[in-house]
Amino acid sequence: MTGEEGRVELRLTVDGAERTASIDPRSLLLDALRDELGAIAPKAGCRTGDCGACTVRVDGAIAKSCLRLAVADDGCEVRTTASMAVGGELTPLQQAFWDTNAFQCGFCLSGMLFAAEDLLERTPSPSETEVREAISGNLCRCTGYDAIVAAVLSCAAPPVRSSRGA
Amino acid sequence: MTTAVPPRLTGSPVRRQDGDVFVTGRAVYTADVRADGAAHVALVRSPHAHARIVAIDAAAARALPGVLAVVTGDEAAEHCEEIPHGLDAGHLGGHHAVVRPLAVGTALYAGEPVAAVVATNAADAALAAAAVEVTWERLPVVLDAEQALLPGAPLLYPDWGDNLIIERDVGPDDFTAAAADAAHVLEGELRTHRGTAAPMETRSYLADWDPAAGKMTVHATTQNPHVLRTVLAATLRLDEEAVHVIAPALGGSFGLKMYGNREDFIVPLLARMLGRPVRWVEERSATLLAGTREQVLRYRVAAAADGRLLALDVHAIADHGAAAPTHGWGMAHVGALATGLGYALPSCHVRYQVVATNKAPWVGTKPFGKDGATLLLERVVDRVAQVVGVHPAEVRRRNFVPPDSFPWLHTSGLELDSGDYATALDLTLKRLDHPAVLAEQRTARAAGRLLGIGLAFELMPESADIPGALVSAFDTSTVRMSPTGRVTVLTGVTSPGTGNETAIAQLVADELGVPMSSVQVVQGDTERCPYGFGNISSRSIITGGNAAVLAARDVAATLRATARAMLQVEPTEEVVLAGNAAALAADPSRVLPLAVVAGAVHTLSYRLALDVEPRLESTRTYRPGNVRQVPDALGRMQTYTTYPYAVHASVLEVDPETGSVTLLRHVVTHDCGTVVNPMFVDGQVTGGVAMGIGAALGEELVFDPDGVPLTTGFKTYLLPRAIDLPTVELEHLCTPAPGTPLGAKGVGESGFSGALAAVVNAVNDALAPHGAALESTPVSPPRILAALQAVGR
Ligand code: FES
Ligand code: FES
Repeated sequence: MTGEEGRVELRLTVDGAERTASIDPRSLLLDALRDELGAIAPKAGCRTGDCGACTVRVDGAIAKSCLRLAVADDGCEVRTTASMAVGGELTPLQQAFWDTNAFQCGFCLSGMLFAAEDLLERTPSPSETEVREAISGNLCRCTGYDAIVAAVLSCAAPPVRSSRGA
Repeated sequence: MTTAVPPRLTGSPVRRQDGDVFVTGRAVYTADVRADGAAHVALVRSPHAHARIVAIDAAAARALPGVLAVVTGDEAAEHCEEIPHGLDAGHLGGHHAVVRPLAVGTALYAGEPVAAVVATNAADAALAAAAVEVTWERLPVVLDAEQALLPGAPLLYPDWGDNLIIERDVGPDDFTAAAADAAHVLEGELRTHRGTAAPMETRSYLADWDPAAGKMTVHATTQNPHVLRTVLAATLRLDEEAVHVIAPALGGSFGLKMYGNREDFIVPLLARMLGRPVRWVEERSATLLAGTREQVLRYRVAAAADGRLLALDVHAIADHGAAAPTHGWGMAHVGALATGLGYALPSCHVRYQVVATNKAPWVGTKPFGKDGATLLLERVVDRVAQVVGVHPAEVRRRNFVPPDSFPWLHTSGLELDSGDYATALDLTLKRLDHPAVLAEQRTARAAGRLLGIGLAFELMPESADIPGALVSAFDTSTVRMSPTGRVTVLTGVTSPGTGNETAIAQLVADELGVPMSSVQVVQGDTERCPYGFGNISSRSIITGGNAAVLAARDVAATLRATARAMLQVEPTEEVVLAGNAAALAADPSRVLPLAVVAGAVHTLSYRLALDVEPRLESTRTYRPGNVRQVPDALGRMQTYTTYPYAVHASVLEVDPETGSVTLLRHVVTHDCGTVVNPMFVDGQVTGGVAMGIGAALGEELVFDPDGVPLTTGFKTYLLPRAIDLPTVELEHLCTPAPGTPLGAKGVGESGFSGALAAVVNAVNDALAPHGAALESTPVSPPRILAALQAVGR
């Protein structure tokens, strides 16, 4: 099954929009999103499930999109970090990542933001250790993680908002 | 309008200008750049560490669906020149290696690209690459630098007659005389392992050749777009202006994406051969081929009875892997230059040998060889401390170059500009609460627990100048103000993802008195930015930042002169630019919006300030004054601009049953002179510390006995994760770089070396009660257990 033949149709809701694409059935969800649907927020850092840069939500659950065949998610609702901000308004978590310099190159952000969001949904007031555990499925080579941990803790309930910066 | 003067942006924790773009997933990296109809490349790589290419049969691959071309090394070589060396060992008394984009004749390491497949999509390209049949004749491999130096060792480059890429001496070779009155002479050997940069983004290129226009456009993961353009044009036999290099957002680099990697050339070459856009995204296993750091360091050190160091003599044997056109081998040289730096060492000599083995080559990696120098000195100081019976902190204090003796000429020729090392040590020990930690250690030891405390001093020469190479200590920035007061900065320095563009905007905004929102910094485009050397050697603020300050001052002078004319005051009247306005210092009520002044420069130049050239644009180059390319009588040059430093303390516990290490604390006092953005500086140092800890504890490139890499992904090459690390505790000290507009020192490589050395020292301190020692890295569980077993534990 190669070349242009043998393609299959994939239906996904991507960041709120219903989309269809004709894809190679071998495609990973990551590649279908990036190459066929123009959703570039998830990144390919390893393709082996180790770095988390490809993280998306599939029907609400966070998932590493490099570990999924796109066809298996046919009909699902996929969200990337591109639709985290509702109506252009950054979420407190996105705001905190920006305000506390919780990223440098930003390549790891899909994994970090989703893992943090997922944690805070389950555990609104996590300890530092819980934050470190929650993001440990993701790799960041730039920050040394401290600023990420601080950003997540600043969003713990009751909300503490940083107002640093210009 | 308000005339209140807002606080200076420089020195403030201003957040990233484009941060919202990143947190909403909209930042465009090279692999995200759209290119309709782009074909995809997959590389055929050698499965053997050393083998002759007898034949390549691509018939089966060519017949597969979607395949557009299969190009072998021989075919590629016909269409291009050999890759120019960034730093040619052949010009410096060593050997020149001919390196082409794809291997010709012989593969010298497992993973070396020998052919390229281009197909309509990536999956088909990968499938076809697997179908290319290469007939190999395996050759004997040599995987150890010391064995490679022995007579009769397999030769990578038979015409060389040996495997020595280059060998050189740094510093006067006078150990015996200098050690004559020493109370102690210690000998030792330190072995450092092979690591790699491993940024989260792998390398990627998108090349588009327009045959009608004769124009090549390349989007590349590169730190040095302009220099890449120069070498790409030379390799592809094009004029420089026919090549346009664009560096989109970079997903980390740490040296890996310096120009000159053979991958830089493969994709543009294929685009030209095929006449269509071609893209390639590197596979993670290939990113993990790039090596660094593997050395054997043999030393003799002479010390006085009070712990003062008298002489150091080092023989460094660097396991480079196959020769490469990158600057990688220069890490051995820089390591030699940096050895002993910051200590008042009367005699220091390093002989280094850079050796070719059947591994993928060294690629310049943060902190570019200085890590080995730090580790060596910090182990040496701890050993001396043990022998003389003085606390390691005190031995460091007794040996530091004192703060009143700058400029300090080191034996290697580097000249330290400023610093206060002992105060940094004091601050670190204070933050640590050293007495309390020592007491805790005594209690732990009494209970049989292996608690270790390690100190390390790191001193990073930064903002390098390599005479004769396209790595210079200067760079260029343009500052331009529009008629509406909007500011564009075009600079020759780039960002590997650190946010230096925001820091440069802070500097320019302060000079012009405009808000951050008025300033846009443009980097990484060879057709927009002035020629520059990009991002290397922690230079972006020192070079591009200082140049932007100078250019902004020119623009500010024109604005001030015009404002004076508009306000009809004498040329001697002081005008303050602040709050997006120009106001008289003597009478702040006489004020003009800056946009009005900028507009007047553009529209009323015949009425106002006739003596001022009506141009709100300036291009300036900042060339630091302290670099000396002319060798002194001993052949030494002063090739670094700034000298940031740090003192680290690491506290950890070793589990004697498993050999595992739990980091309890890591404290760093850091001095990078004037800080432009403290939040960014903290981020750089913390990230560097995490990388150094990773290198100390476990990150290691491992090979099977035939030289095939076993560490092909993140399940085997173990980067530190958030749970592995303690919160890094930071203290700051500021000794501004003298004689510079800003006083800033480089920060991009800080944190790594001291963390590596402090952790290694701490592990040794933990093992010391058992008499065990570990003089090789990584200090991983199996090695720790072996060290304990060696002393019968
Ligand atoms: S790319 Fe999916 S986990 Fe790394
Ligand atoms: S910010 Fe670069 S990998 Fe996390």
